[in-house]
Amino acid sequence: MSRVTSWMRPVHALAFRVVGAVLVLIGTLMAWATFVYNNGAYPAKATLQYFDAPFALNSFRLHLAILGIAALAVALAPVPGRNRILRGLGWGVIAIAAVHMAFMTYEGGGLGAIAGGTAFGSWSTLVGGILIVLAAHGGGLEGPVHLPTKMPFYVAWLVLLVSFAGLLMLVSRTLTAGGQGGVANPYSGPLFLSFVGYAGGLLAALHGAGLLPWISRLSEGHRAFSIVVLLGCALALPFTDAGTEYWMTVAANIGVYAATAIGLNVVVGLTGLLDLGYVAFLGIGAFVAANLSGAAAARFDIELPFIVAALIAAVVAGIFGAIVGSPTLRVRGDYLAIVTLAFGEIFVRSAQNDIGGLTNGSNAIPGLPPISLFGKGFNESITIGGAKLPSGVLYYFLIVLLVAVVMAVFANLKNSRIGRAWVAIREDEDVARAMGIRTGQAKILAFMVGATLAGLAGAVFAHKLSTVSYESFKFLESVTLLAAVILGGMASIPGAVLGASLLFVLPEKLREFSEYRLLMFGLALVLIMRFRPQGLVPDKHRRAELVGEDPEGKPLDESDVGQAHLPDVGPTTGPTTREAT
Amino acid sequence: MSAVLEARDVSMVFGGLVALSDVSLELGEGQIVGLIGPNGAGKTTFFNCLTGLYTPSKGEVLLNGVRLPGDPAKVTSAGVARTFQNIRLFPSMTALENVMVGRHVRMRQGPIASLFHGPTFKRGEAAARERSSELLEFVGLARVSDELARNLPYGDQRRLEIARALATDPKVLLLDEPTAGMNPQETEATRQLIFAIRDTGVAVVVIEHDTKFIFTLCDSVSVLVQGELLIRGTPDEVRADPRVIEAYLGKPTEEIEAELQAAQSQSTLQDDTPGSDVPGSDTLGSDAPQEDAR
Repeated sequence: MSRVTSWMRPVHALAFRVVGAVLVLIGTLMAWATFVYNNGAYPAKATLQYFDAPFALNSFRLHLAILGIAALAVALAPVPGRNRILRGLGWGVIAIAAVHMAFMTYEGGGLGAIAGGTAFGSWSTLVGGILIVLAAHGGGLEGPVHLPTKMPFYVAWLVLLVSFAGLLMLVSRTLTAGGQGGVANPYSGPLFLSFVGYAGGLLAALHGAGLLPWISRLSEGHRAFSIVVLLGCALALPFTDAGTEYWMTVAANIGVYAATAIGLNVVVGLTGLLDLGYVAFLGIGAFVAANLSGAAAARFDIELPFIVAALIAAVVAGIFGAIVGSPTLRVRGDYLAIVTLAFGEIFVRSAQNDIGGLTNGSNAIPGLPPISLFGKGFNESITIGGAKLPSGVLYYFLIVLLVAVVMAVFANLKNSRIGRAWVAIREDEDVARAMGIRTGQAKILAFMVGATLAGLAGAVFAHKLSTVSYESFKFLESVTLLAAVILGGMASIPGAVLGASLLFVLPEKLREFSEYRLLMFGLALVLIMRFRPQGLVPDKHRRAELVGEDPEGKPLDESDVGQAHLPDVGPTTGPTTREAT
Repeated sequence: MSAVLEARDVSMVFGGLVALSDVSLELGEGQIVGLIGPNGAGKTTFFNCLTGLYTPSKGEVLLNGVRLPGDPAKVTSAGVARTFQNIRLFPSMTALENVMVGRHVRMRQGPIASLFHGPTFKRGEAAARERSSELLEFVGLARVSDELARNLPYGDQRRLEIARALATDPKVLLLDEPTAGMNPQETEATRQLIFAIRDTGVAVVVIEHDTKFIFTLCDSVSVLVQGELLIRGTPDEVRADPRVIEAYLGKPTEEIEAELQAAQSQSTLQDDTPGSDVPGSDTLGSDAPQEDAR
């Protein structure tokens, strides 16, 4: 983005950003709506804090105030990467203001502020946000900021610990933002979206200040520590505000789809084979597990321990993966996509019509017994050290474990001879072949690995839902998974997790917009593909490919480069030639 | 001299088009053989037949007396590596990763080992990494080993392709126009690099338009014209052969003679020479690079 040069005089840019920040702050202090409903005036009808009176700083207005103060501070103080920070803050403000404005307009008519004529809070804020963004672009965006990563290990560990704790808090807050949607809480959708705007704005500002890349480089340098802390944070989620049965269920569902998305990433992200029927493997895993679970409608009258059933499910899915992958020897590109699309459809139709008698058709297979370990059902609540955790927590822990395993498989394969072969095939299949890679075998292996991971996730999915129906594995699910991978960033683990989280948490949070959900989803995808084709958290190579940046943004000094590439080197245990020559 | 690589009467027909007819090639150990010819003569097609990308319609290719399989991957593991006329690296992998892909065929880690990253796996990876770094150093790219291939300058990309091919531990290296688009310094560096490769015991076949480059590099030169082997011999023999001159410059007509005479009299202060003798060995040697502008 450094190609954007400044087209504003410095003094104008200063005026823009200061005025913008002040407008935001004024906006947060003003009333946001004094509109009249058709059947009653403001206080009588709109009883929610959502349209709070002037000078009330809570909820989204608190967020706006934080962004506004930050923008004012940055506008006046010469910090490195100032305009990048301001851009993030400005967009956050715009997002929050726009969400609430749109909602108020939709609910009350008018343009956010009518009737009373004094409630220009949203307008003031929106204009302020736009001014800040204009000032950021007009002042000329600086190159990425680089902070040194050379420091004693305990400082780095402390920084990472604090960062990941912050991440845990952010995840918890995002998950619970706006509360549980439904009739009782019709404002949860906008409040959630507004929170996402706030979090996005803050993160973008931190990124602009060079803090996020810095933390990411630090964590690469202290990989083992980061993994342990991240795992700890994931396991600590039930102890936060999100530790209710409802949020645990949502989180568990996200986890299942995240694991599946990472599996799909092997096929699409690493190997570059477009698979439009991938969710079928999740379905195969789920149905196999269901049939081996001892449920009344199961075909086989046996009840295998979960771990055995899950392994069988994974293997069966893997075999189907190899079968579906075999056309890759003959067809490429778009044609392969159509073959996989057809396979997905065959699976759904067979399941719907109970061909083979393993799916119980449209009646589904209900009543799967919960997984139990040491006599403890996974659907029960547990108590750890005095803290009573809600039911569903054990499933959540199981799924965290699943995601961790899937991530490890993905990461290890990616950084190996096999992973390099996959990427080589993605880059140029003919040359990969000319370099001695058996491309056919490698591609089928990619399909198998992806399918196996999905099958494993499917087994957990089946028990978590306790009902397995063909309806969970329709084409739209495949597309959503694919979108999760692309949205998050191809070949990137955090990307797949983030993508899956977004695409599967949004429907949960935006129930009141259910009829517009796909529309919004489509719009968001178009916008992201236009403005961030490399995905939200891109793989470093891919980022460079699509944006033309260096893999680490732009390595400035030697220490940075050394740090950044440290984890790739691996232990050098001497040059014993294990290779056949 | 025992032939490392031998192509016997290789023919290639696409539909009704005869791209190659009965082309033979012999490559001795530690030899550098050049393959020249006008555009469309079938040089790259011949390379593709050697590397298994095409299955020849007729004829066979032997490596150390063993017939090569018709599969690029197997040909590479047998010991024939190549580069491409239009550079084909893996653009979004780093230079080092590109070379490590070349090591693929000499590594033995399967999916299970790759999954668990055990000590054996790590030793193998470390060895591959070390060998790849050595090769990058060998071609003079050690400084850019962590750069993405797509970001490298043109000349470095050509060198990286050679390093990647060398990573497969080839007995025979096929270079398809390694100096295309290079300036004289880069060309000279490439010549030295090819000599250095030859000195490590790898036999090299080079396709090149730059005849001056070929004649100063190769032990033996083959000339392909319209899919047929016109002549095979030492650089001096080939350079002096009137058929080669004709293939490159066309039959001398009155106009060409006049032009050549004019050019000759301008560039040298010699007396004008008879037209048919004008494109002599020196002329071909020094002027050919200029008509390389494709």
